[in-house]
Amino acid sequence: MTQETYELYRYLNRSIPRLDSEQKVRGELKYLTDVYPEGMLHGYVLRSTVAHARILEISTEEAERAPGIRAVLTYKDIPGINGYGAIVPEIPVLAYERVRYYGEPLALIAADSMEQAKAAAEMIKVRLEPLPAVLDVDEAMAEKVKIHDKGNVARHTVVKRGDVSKAEAQAHLVLERTYRTPMQKHMFIEPEGGYAYVDGSGVVHVLAGGQSPYRDKLQISRVLGISPEMIRVKNYPTGGAFGGKDDATVQIHLALLAYRTRKPVRLAWTREESGIAGYHRTASKITIRTAVDREGRLLSNSAKIVLDSGAYQSFGPTILDVSIETINGPYRVPSYLIDAYLVYTNNGIASAFRGFGAPESNFAIESMMNELAAELGIDPVEIRLRNILRTGEEGPFGNVIRNSAGLEEALNRARSSGIWRRANGSGWIKEGVGVAVAIKGVGFGTLPDYPSAAVEVIPEGKVRVMFTNPDYGQGVITGIAQLAAERLQIPVSEIEVINADTMHSPDTGSSSASRTTLTAGSAVVQAIDEALSKLRVEAASSFGASSSEVQYSGGRFMYRDRSVTIYELARRLRQKGRSLRFEATFEVPRYPEPVEGTLEVPHMMYMYGVALVRAGVDALLGKVNVKEVEFYADIGNVINPSIASGQVEGGVVQGLGYATIEEYRYSDDGRPLNINFTTYVVPTARDSPEMYVEFVKSYDELGPYGAKGVGEIGIIPVGAALAEAVYRATGKRIRDLPITPWKLV
Amino acid sequence: MLAERGAAVRPISGGTDVMVMIKDGVLKEKELLDLSRLEELRYIKEDGELIRIGARTTYREVERSPVINAYAPILVEASKTIGSVQIQNLGTIAGNLGNASPAADSVPSLYVLEARVKLASVNSEREVGIGEFFLGPRKTVRRPDELITEVSFRKMEPGSHFFFKKLGLRSANAISIVSAAGILKLSNGKIDWLRLALGAVAPTVIRSPTAEERARGAELNEDSIRAIAEGASTDARPITDIRGTAEYRKKAVFGLVYEALYEIMSGSGKRVVFGLEGRG
Ligand SMILES: Cc1cc2nc3c(=O)[nH]c(=O)nc-3n(C[C@H](O)[C@H](O)[C@H](O)COP(=O)(O)OP(=O)(O)OC[C@H]3O[C@@H](n4cnc5c(N)ncnc54)[C@H](O)[C@@H]3O)c2cc1C
Repeated sequence: MTQETYELYRYLNRSIPRLDSEQKVRGELKYLTDVYPEGMLHGYVLRSTVAHARILEISTEEAERAPGIRAVLTYKDIPGINGYGAIVPEIPVLAYERVRYYGEPLALIAADSMEQAKAAAEMIKVRLEPLPAVLDVDEAMAEKVKIHDKGNVARHTVVKRGDVSKAEAQAHLVLERTYRTPMQKHMFIEPEGGYAYVDGSGVVHVLAGGQSPYRDKLQISRVLGISPEMIRVKNYPTGGAFGGKDDATVQIHLALLAYRTRKPVRLAWTREESGIAGYHRTASKITIRTAVDREGRLLSNSAKIVLDSGAYQSFGPTILDVSIETINGPYRVPSYLIDAYLVYTNNGIASAFRGFGAPESNFAIESMMNELAAELGIDPVEIRLRNILRTGEEGPFGNVIRNSAGLEEALNRARSSGIWRRANGSGWIKEGVGVAVAIKGVGFGTLPDYPSAAVEVIPEGKVRVMFTNPDYGQGVITGIAQLAAERLQIPVSEIEVINADTMHSPDTGSSSASRTTLTAGSAVVQAIDEALSKLRVEAASSFGASSSEVQYSGGRFMYRDRSVTIYELARRLRQKGRSLRFEATFEVPRYPEPVEGTLEVPHMMYMYGVALVRAGVDALLGKVNVKEVEFYADIGNVINPSIASGQVEGGVVQGLGYATIEEYRYSDDGRPLNINFTTYVVPTARDSPEMYVEFVKSYDELGPYGAKGVGEIGIIPVGAALAEAVYRATGKRIRDLPITPWKLV
Repeated sequence: MLAERGAAVRPISGGTDVMVMIKDGVLKEKELLDLSRLEELRYIKEDGELIRIGARTTYREVERSPVINAYAPILVEASKTIGSVQIQNLGTIAGNLGNASPAADSVPSLYVLEARVKLASVNSEREVGIGEFFLGPRKTVRRPDELITEVSFRKMEPGSHFFFKKLGLRSANAISIVSAAGILKLSNGKIDWLRLALGAVAPTVIRSPTAEERARGAELNEDSIRAIAEGASTDARPITDIRGTAEYRKKAVFGLVYEALYEIMSGSGKRVVFGLEGRG
């Protein structure tokens, strides 16, 4: 990729405003929880108020007879399978035999009013025999109390290469450390919710905030015991998700209630309900032992990774995979031994959260790199430059690094940053600068992934672009519209996006794993090519020319002095009764087989980032004040610089919250303690530091127009970089996040 | 209304506490008494040596008042730390008193201003000192038939130094982990007197007798600052909760008081200058 071609883009590398920002700024955009369908019923979920128990009885007779009650459902009323879960369908839709976390749904109610629903919930007779709550992974692994009959380890795997003990024997230095990261809540602006109804032809419509409409559809169909064809899911617009709406939240419950009552039903969790029953990030405990030579070159890496899955698995198994892939960093690691566990506890349900296992492992490996650098007296940027994989090298998981130039450049930029000279505390304020790098695979690694998208040329002058990766605030629809405009060489204003609606769009998969630009972008480009090749033939025939003689530019086909627009061609096709819709499926490039012991490691495409954090620590109060963050990232070609920086900045602030004040906690008997914005505090705009984001020039030929992804990269290295800044400031190594004031005084 | 069935009625002023209680379902009373249109209680008055603040006065009005800026700038300091601008636009000092949280951020300053709280019912009116007003968390001497109508205090002494320091987990909308308010009178490098109040370290806001005693007549130097701050820490009787451990809170009291006094010693602290608020 050369400089010249960059400048040829007309609609890429441009910070056009988001297509839906005006509506949002005016407050006109309605989330699906803002819709109150006419004649709707109010959905309500009766939840467990103990963390672990045997269910002796749930009787609903009295509640069913209560005024205004249209349905009371328990596990007995589920027509299909009583289970869901993105990877393994083991999460009960409604509790059966056992309750495994505080907040687990016991019964569903649909009523004419919310008051009636709540009153009926009081009448449901629930008898539970309490069991001890297991809240700690070590305790769970001791297996004294079994949360599941099969035992408390949901997944255990060993991934290895080479001879670690030999490497350690020859090493100049071997360090072993244990690092911990907390559960984190997503705290999106719109709690989980939406509405559902059944139409005249029996199709169940579920309109709710989410990240994966086709997976929702499949999960609903299994539970309802009806064909997916009879279900429609719409997720746009969604008020934030960050992974917390990737697996099903309200969708299945909504479908059950609408299916049973044949009436529109609204079900929206309160903030507190979201705090209790919504997903959270896996807590981690990682013991890592790393061997280096005198120059700080890595010889081996061993890690015991333990992730807290909570009561069920959701995305746990693949989160564990990403944490395995991340534990070796972007480094040359000749031998390694990774012993990884996904463990059940009674702590709610852990699921996807921006970074998906990467922030957890990154905190361990990057803190380790900083500790090694300090022990060896090597500059922390230098030690990384000595170890990063270069283009053409084989990575630790056998994957050939196709392009790592971006990371090297990012590290060089970080090394020459002025931030290092700006650390100048005085008195009780101590300042320090810390660095950490991040690597994150884009997409699902070796798992087969075939995203589809469609375009439709509307004779009235629009091209409709349809894909299902939901835009929940990341700006996906804008980025994809820019890609479509570029491909078609028409203004973005002529592109109309229909997002995240299974009624209109083929399956593009979920908005997750920073994959949307790659998946929707590539599939849309392919669908456009499909459209243009069909239209070209049509144009050629009207010109009486062969299609190879026809030129395309700026929305028109040309032959000699004649030309015709795509819209005119579409009009003619419509007259002939031909379809104006063109669909394509993209095959995400991948390695054919996962590394032994993994499900999806490695990836083919990686994003990279380098974070520099300057922080002041009040030595008397222990309070960390983050002054400045610089972030150098390689995300491939940048479609919309302002949206991309926004993603990095948002990730950084979310990472700072994770590293300083956020920690979702349970009482000793398993009751969640901080379930709303009063008790679960997240950083405000005032807490956001000065930020500088720079994208190094990069182009990945596997992505659409060289683009990779961006959503997750910002959050990943922040914890380790901040911990290093705090160490530089105070001499204290904090190995368990968050770095709360009481850990520093 | 209050006279007839006071115990069943909850006064609501700015609503920034009451609305949260309603939402959380913890409000016992079935009825609300809306004070928001009682314009006659919306005032800041100079009355000789006294300042009188009506119960409906918001933090924003306090911050913008020339009278408060001139004669009680410590209250401006405190008001600016309450929640966020949105909360300051709605919330009132009387509401902060009525809510009776040990972490209330206007209260430590009112303690060191030695404020008095006026309570009125249909046929009575009385005034109590701020120290007697609070009985414990969420508990005050207000009778169900009474309203808080006014808070008053003497003007701060010209040239006196003051501070309000609040430690929260973040920079806006944060509940204090600990807070400290102080007014200090110096002459010739010696402390004439110090009034020091601490928030979130006991069932109510407290004064720190040990710190105040150690300050009296002491030179302002690093040793005395340390001793005073340690005294404050000794007087603190905090609990452990989701915002911090008891042990940490005691250390943080030391830190807040030490930093505040150090700033005064080094000339970067704030000082009362009649007419306008000045530095050092
Ligand atoms: C987001 C947020 C952030 C906040 N941040 C802070 C903070 O940083 N520091 C802090 O101290 N507080 C904070 N608060 C709490 C609250 O804003 C303050 O306590 C405020 O002073 C309450 O004033 P109000 O007028 O809104 O009171 P209301 O909510 O109307 O009333 C509060 C209590 O006082 C009683 N009351 C009010 N007026 C009278 C009266 N005239 N007579 C008798 N009783 C009365 C009410 O019955 C009620 O019990 C915050 C609240 C929110 C929602």
